[in-house]
Amino acid sequence: MSQQPLTLPATGPRSGEPRGRRRLLLEIAGAVAIAATYVYLVLTQPVELADGPTSASALVALGGFLLGAVLLLVAVLPTLPTSTLVLMPVAIVLNVVLGQLIGTTGLPFYIDAVGTVLVAVLAGPAAGAASGVLGSIIWSFFNPTVLPFAAGAALIGFLAGMAARAGLFRRFYLAPVAGFVTGILAGVVSAPIAAFVYGGTAGLGTGALVSAFRVMGDTLLAAITKQALISDPMDKAIVFTIAALLAYALPRRTTFQFPFVRRFRVLAGKAPAAPDA
Amino acid sequence: MRLHPLTALTAAACTAVVTTAAGSWPLSLAVAAGAALLAAGAGVAGRVLGSAAVILAPLLLSLLALHGLFFPEGRTVLAQWGPARVTTEGLGFALELATRTTASVLVLLLFSFTVSVPDLLAALAARRIPPQFSFVLASALTLAPGMAARLERIRQAQEARGLVVSGGFLSRLVAARLQAVPLVLALVDDAGVRAQALDARGFGNPGPRTSYRELEDPGGQRVFRACALLIAAAAVAVRLAGGWLATGLLGTGA
Amino acid sequence: MSLLAAEIGGFSYHGDDAPALRDVELTLRPGTLTAVLGGSGSGKTTLGKILAGWLRAGAAGSLRGSLALGGERLEFSGGDGDPRIDPAAWSGRVGYVPQDAATMLSTVRHTVAEELAFGLENRGVPRPEMLRRVALTAERTGLGGLLDRNPEWLSGGELRRLAVACAVIGEPEVLILDEPLASLDPAGAQGIVRLVGDLRASGTAVVVLGQAADGLARSAAHWLVLADGTAVAAGKPWDIPEQVLRDAGVLAGDAAGGVRHPAPVDPAAAPVLELRDVGFGYARVGTGPARSRRLMSRPRLWRERADDADILPLLRGLDLAVVPGEIVAVTGPNGAGKSTLLRLANGLLQPRQGDVRVLGDPIAGVPAGLVADTVGLLFQQPRDQLFERTVLREVRFGLRRLTGPDGDPTARAMDALTAVGLAGSAAAHPAELPSSRQRLLALATVLTRRPALLALDEPTVGLDRHGLARLHAAVADAAGRGAGVLLVTHDAAYARAAAHRVLELDGGRLRETWRRPAP
Repeated sequence: MSQQPLTLPATGPRSGEPRGRRRLLLEIAGAVAIAATYVYLVLTQPVELADGPTSASALVALGGFLLGAVLLLVAVLPTLPTSTLVLMPVAIVLNVVLGQLIGTTGLPFYIDAVGTVLVAVLAGPAAGAASGVLGSIIWSFFNPTVLPFAAGAALIGFLAGMAARAGLFRRFYLAPVAGFVTGILAGVVSAPIAAFVYGGTAGLGTGALVSAFRVMGDTLLAAITKQALISDPMDKAIVFTIAALLAYALPRRTTFQFPFVRRFRVLAGKAPAAPDA
Repeated sequence: MRLHPLTALTAAACTAVVTTAAGSWPLSLAVAAGAALLAAGAGVAGRVLGSAAVILAPLLLSLLALHGLFFPEGRTVLAQWGPARVTTEGLGFALELATRTTASVLVLLLFSFTVSVPDLLAALAARRIPPQFSFVLASALTLAPGMAARLERIRQAQEARGLVVSGGFLSRLVAARLQAVPLVLALVDDAGVRAQALDARGFGNPGPRTSYRELEDPGGQRVFRACALLIAAAAVAVRLAGGWLATGLLGTGA
Repeated sequence: MSLLAAEIGGFSYHGDDAPALRDVELTLRPGTLTAVLGGSGSGKTTLGKILAGWLRAGAAGSLRGSLALGGERLEFSGGDGDPRIDPAAWSGRVGYVPQDAATMLSTVRHTVAEELAFGLENRGVPRPEMLRRVALTAERTGLGGLLDRNPEWLSGGELRRLAVACAVIGEPEVLILDEPLASLDPAGAQGIVRLVGDLRASGTAVVVLGQAADGLARSAAHWLVLADGTAVAAGKPWDIPEQVLRDAGVLAGDAAGGVRHPAPVDPAAAPVLELRDVGFGYARVGTGPARSRRLMSRPRLWRERADDADILPLLRGLDLAVVPGEIVAVTGPNGAGKSTLLRLANGLLQPRQGDVRVLGDPIAGVPAGLVADTVGLLFQQPRDQLFERTVLREVRFGLRRLTGPDGDPTARAMDALTAVGLAGSAAAHPAELPSSRQRLLALATVLTRRPALLALDEPTVGLDRHGLARLHAAVADAAGRGAGVLLVTHDAAYARAAAHRVLELDGGRLRETWRRPAP
């Protein structure tokens, strides 16, 4: 191996033209698959429920969302540097551990995405989306019911990264706002999964809300979407706030090792020292 | 003969897909019972059923209450209290979805509680799945079990400094934040060093890789996998075609 | 002919104002041993990682200078046009083993053999060649009997050898070892020293980074002494004056040097800490290699209560009394329960039998956070104990409750920081301090509460010479104002120099092995 050159070519492997275009196509295909699945489900659902079980819709929801999530993963994973990749197991573990830790305080939310959002803030939207998908896949080893929500988790990671890139984590009061908006979108996208794959939500409070909307004559999807619009934005606002608190508690040397944080000045008051050379 | 991890995965996934596509509660019940029996045979019945109970109980109760009492589409009313109406259609819908989810969850848990992770990783590597995926999967599964001990150490260290956690909500929230900071910091810092170590050991190499661990993949299992995938694809195709024709060729089961 | 030559004008981490390393030169020849010595925060690790391609120009920080490996020379100006080192190619020729050996492991391989093969797999080495090299390296590093073991179940010494083996298996021309002997028992240390000898005989240039001029460093032909990120001396060991080493914070002998012997105490005084007939044990944990291969049923996040039948007895009928001003050292083999004893003393653990009294009052049922007002415990891992944004806030945390509304917590915190020599770092982030100073900061957080009993868990480990001097002074001051000190250490010489009595913990009880003679 001593013949191997010691240095990398002047431009990164990422900017290779054909591979870059293939990646972009995969990303677009993934996003289109998720969006098209959602639109199809919303358009066809009223006929479906009255006629009996929701098998076809369930298959479309499962297939479309999972296909989209996997396409995004395939597009994004090989582009990530090792320093970002090692953060993903950390994000997944933190999702669980911080969820449990916050759970001990008695907050009535699930708070299961703090790790994903934290990684999105440190490493960007692509890393956040990949963390969301991988987290769902890995957590499904212990709880298979979370697997179909992979697309929603990807959306949360992606939007958190975009918010960080736009500087919303520089002002402390903007982080929960970004979380609120993310919660609206993620809740709406995930609602068809709850409606067609599971036929409802797991939990007393959410179940009661869905029941109430059903009594008012809503379709199942509409009832679950409305329920998600009530609980998800609040939950994600809290998650974003916690992630921001943690990001600001980290020392500068730690946050600055991430090019994303340096390049987009993600965190306030942490301007780079002297510009290089 | 040992089951190749991909054979087990294919079998579990295809069973779940076929069950979902069929949408027939007797089939779902049969699949669930089969999974439970196999779990008992593999000696993991307690863990599979225990985990499944924790996951499914809230969902099933919620389904029963939701559709059993409130199903505006229902026509055959069995009982009525104010806005709540028990309908045959609602109960049937709840039964259908509950058994379908139960069957899929049991089958997939049976897979994850019997698969050998090292074998699964070797199988993924042989299939040229990106090594990044295997890394995140295996690393998360390695890191997770140590977290409880780590958090406990942090809690002890902080109590020894005079941190008193009282029963109040705010106090517990502050304590949670103080414990989270060293945990996150240690994990992120370790990850930084690990990235350097992985790069040094050639993890970022784009070239082809070899594998130390060898895995047998008998021809019979390959054929089985191909057949399972075909059956699942056929089941999905029939159901979707049926759905689009809006005729319900398979009926509602039974 | 030189294998590796480095001229580092300056290296600074992204986001740091000051360079971590400046004006350092080093040349390595085949078959030589070089020691890079320096105190905590001197830049040893930064230098080692730059040489090995772990810290790369551009990616980790900005580098000015040059690196020459074999015939190839790379120049860095700190700008965007600098060459980018390929870590896999570079590290295949320059191996590095970090001080914390666990961070070297991939965390994705489930046996020692597969962990060893990880680097070869990534480089696409054909399987027969891989098997041959795994067997060969295992034999060289004494891991032959452990090849099927899960890396998680290795002892500290075995883990260090595995980390070295992971670097050696790539057959590097240069091998850099960061504190290779730290916290190893004599047998483990000997194994590493022998391995270094073998590698040199086969032509590898070895670099040892350390803060002690120990036996391994003394056998080096060339020394480079660093302080505050720059070279203060370089050359043959015998040409470097003792004073330079001392000023750089390098330990020459053992931790006992410079300890003030304590003044005699009244053994009849009312004890600050008393343990009577204490019994304790941990619940057996059902973890075995067979189980670790499968997925856990779910990650078990909270420990469950165990039945008495499942208790593994650790301490039995243990008695101990510490009087004001007395310094008691506890020694004993690994796993004897030394750290457990300290946790019983401050209420983090409750004895299953007997009782623990602080200042005459039993502490059963008192939250550890309140016992902390009278008992200060310093842990082995300082970073678990720190959580604030600045050093000053860290020490001031919770002081208001002790000082009352009229007190001045800030002044009191600054006093403690001055005592450990950290007054100048009051505004720094605790996590950015070098580990030695993190430990001193943790000590300051304990001292500032002026506890009646100071409990210290292995306080000397990882401290450089300056840190040890601060520790010795702090312990002597605490005893001088009448606090009892209970310290756990593996260092017998330090125990005898610092303490009134040395007790050995063995078989669940304490036995006095040494007592300071009356003056």
